[in-house]
Amino acid sequence: MQAWIEFGQGPLFRLCFVLMILGLIRIFILTIIGMVEALNRNTDKIVPYRDLIQKTLMWLFPIKHLWTKRPFYGLISVLFHVGLLIVPLFLAAHVLMWKNSVGFAWFSIPRGLADWLTIIVIVTGIVLFLMRASSKAGRALSRKQDYIWPLLLVVPFITGYICSNSAIGPAAYQLMMMVHVYSANLIMLMIPFTKIAHCILVPLSQLVTAISWKFPAGAGDMVIETLGYKEYPTWVKKPRLETPVELKVKEEINAE
Amino acid sequence: MNRIYTFKTILWTILGFGAAVGTARFIYGLGVTTNLSDSVPWGLWIGFDVMGGVALAAGGFILTATVYIFRLEKFHGIVRPAVLTAFLGYIAVAVGLLFDLGLPWNIWHMIIFWNPHSPLFEVGWCVMLYLTVLLLEFFPIPAEEFSKLNKLRNFLLKLRLPLVIAGIALSTLHQSSLGSLFLIMPYNVHPLWYSPILPVLFFISAITLGLMMVSFESKFTSWLYRRETETDLLAKLCSAARWVFLIYIIVRFGDLAFRGQLGHLGGGEWQVVMFWVEIAITALIPVILLSIPKIRIAPVWQWIIPMMSIFGIVLNRINVGGLVHINRGNTLYLPSLTEITISASVVAGAALVFLYMVERYKIWEKRPADPNTDPTKIPEFDFASRTSLGTPEVALRTKYSLAFILAAAVGFALLSTENLSSAGTESSPAKEARGWETMWIDGDLDGEGTAFPHAKHIDNNGKEKSCVLCHHMNLPLDNSSQCSACHRDMYLLSDAFGHDRHASASGAGLKCFDCHKKDLTKNADTAKPCKDCHGDLVAEGSTITVENYRTIGYVESMHRLCIGCHSQKADSLEKPDLPRCANCHKEKRTIISPDAGVHPHQYGAEKDNVIFPIVSYNSEQPPDTTNTGSAVENSR
Repeated sequence: MQAWIEFGQGPLFRLCFVLMILGLIRIFILTIIGMVEALNRNTDKIVPYRDLIQKTLMWLFPIKHLWTKRPFYGLISVLFHVGLLIVPLFLAAHVLMWKNSVGFAWFSIPRGLADWLTIIVIVTGIVLFLMRASSKAGRALSRKQDYIWPLLLVVPFITGYICSNSAIGPAAYQLMMMVHVYSANLIMLMIPFTKIAHCILVPLSQLVTAISWKFPAGAGDMVIETLGYKEYPTWVKKPRLETPVELKVKEEINAE
Repeated sequence: MNRIYTFKTILWTILGFGAAVGTARFIYGLGVTTNLSDSVPWGLWIGFDVMGGVALAAGGFILTATVYIFRLEKFHGIVRPAVLTAFLGYIAVAVGLLFDLGLPWNIWHMIIFWNPHSPLFEVGWCVMLYLTVLLLEFFPIPAEEFSKLNKLRNFLLKLRLPLVIAGIALSTLHQSSLGSLFLIMPYNVHPLWYSPILPVLFFISAITLGLMMVSFESKFTSWLYRRETETDLLAKLCSAARWVFLIYIIVRFGDLAFRGQLGHLGGGEWQVVMFWVEIAITALIPVILLSIPKIRIAPVWQWIIPMMSIFGIVLNRINVGGLVHINRGNTLYLPSLTEITISASVVAGAALVFLYMVERYKIWEKRPADPNTDPTKIPEFDFASRTSLGTPEVALRTKYSLAFILAAAVGFALLSTENLSSAGTESSPAKEARGWETMWIDGDLDGEGTAFPHAKHIDNNGKEKSCVLCHHMNLPLDNSSQCSACHRDMYLLSDAFGHDRHASASGAGLKCFDCHKKDLTKNADTAKPCKDCHGDLVAEGSTITVENYRTIGYVESMHRLCIGCHSQKADSLEKPDLPRCANCHKEKRTIISPDAGVHPHQYGAEKDNVIFPIVSYNSEQPPDTTNTGSAVENSR
């Protein structure tokens, strides 16, 4: 079992970690390229940048925004995120591992704080899952990964807390450690390919929405054509789009 | 079109591995990521990336010369890809060099700190200038697409002829100078490869390689994009290459014959086998095959012959660059996987840029069309996620980047822990020379050495400028120069008489017939003996007789005279230790006075009685250093 743990902390960790970092960079770059292309394609090129920056900053700290509607959810969510980011990065044991493997390290947080943050993450993670599962609207909006993620994210925290705080036998300890290492690797592996990619896409999300929800003139026709219909099916109300481009084309046809 | 997608995915994957290994190389240094060592400092990267890369890119200057100077317009269709290949090839060389240089951030040093004695300096400058020339030659092609650049483009087109000429001159210079690099190591390169005309051989083979590379690349991209091959054009190219091959063979074997090294060809060493394999696939087989017109136009052979020849010449570069070096500390060098990955990814990167350029700009007469970009094409759905990946452009972007990051992650995972736990680049600052006052030099560590007044040498030879006089002479198999490198007369016979000094007005001012007799031939035998004038030349009771006017070197004379006499006296005085070295060389491994180099006997006091060590000695024979003292005894 020790060999498996070492494999998880060595080559497998490198694989997952590099994949996470490069995958996040990749998705960031791809999003930006896609945005630039969409902007070039759009006839309406106006982007309200100032408004978007304000919105982005507001959603980074959503307590105030959520306070009026869902204060409990806002608080829980922020607590969950804070613990989730701080504990893995600044736990003394993790920092020491970086120091030993790559030769450089950064500051670490005190043990007590780490323990409290861990408990907070575990509790809030489970609460978030229950909130999603218990609400009808939440269930309607959720995909499979939305249920899986809060639980999966909590697993390494639970096992990590057990490993560092309770006196368990060596066999149980190794088992816990193995679950800890492998679940963390699995999380890193999946981050850039699932919704957790929002960790790097947050600054872009508002921008993407603003830019890409502008359909080019005649987009509906293209959709209908792509779906294989010769003309608009009866269940589709033909949109009356009179965009500047369409008008211009019409004028040209009339002129001829 | 699937071919090109698959090929690009493979290239991106290689690039991903290269990114992982390259990062490790720059973080952890060359030592842990390569099989290079102090005794094998030049390996695959120099042999393949730099020397092979420069030669592979030779097609650029050959085809520009053919089309723009010799006005062979029929080759016009392949001149643009050739220039692009050359341009990218040289960039690849520069990138490959960055990986290989221990301190890559110092690459600009050659621009400012000139060392005009070094062929590498010339290569560096030529590559830099030729890269500029290639950029200026290539730039008009992408500039076609931008109307804003029209003025610049027209200006560059006017400059084309001078640029082409400059390109030819620079290529000739550095293609051959890469060979000159190895002229410095006649003792290292195997005699089958080492030749004073290595530069010429490199140049000729670069021409053949350039031609072969152009045909291979044309053939390969045609296959990739399913476009029509220029079979006739390639046949003409191969037909021209045949003569260059022939010249190469003649020069190569002629050189071997002239140097008298043909005897090496019969041996059974692996180097000999390597030589035959190399020359066969480089030139012998191609020249035979290309002489047959049917084969020249056969598509299959148009694949095989260039590939064979390219492989052969690159092998030649790798061989000269290090594989067949002897005296390499007896360590077998095989490039590590990481080195191969870096080389492959540099090539992959260049290939990707090439393909991008070909698709984006008018490199060929007809740009390759991608059927997937047809707007009427129904979009495909990804089999895994069952979603549309979007337009082909977006879908390909998604796939290629995924291939890249997956390969990079796997690459990092596969790097050995030894690589990753290295302490990183260890800085080894240049230390100031210790330059002790007196050093004990005992090269063979037998306990018998000599005290070397180091400080005195520095003072006498121009202070700090004096270091290079001894320390950077780079004599084969030698780390620092021997005393005799400067003190050439140390062991040499010299003229003890000084005829000119006797004859000159400022010297003794003697006339010819003061010493020579009128009717006899004027030589030493017929002249007046020394002691007629120099009555005190040979001291009373000396055991030494004057026989001719040669003196042995001062080290020898000191040893022979003293040890000779001492060993003679040892018996009669019954002191067997009398001729022992330690009697004189007492100051072993101790710092002794600055006068240590001077003869321990009071030389000056007996100056009047000084005895010219004129002994019976045949000047044809080399000085006998093994049996000191015997010459004196024989002379009696």
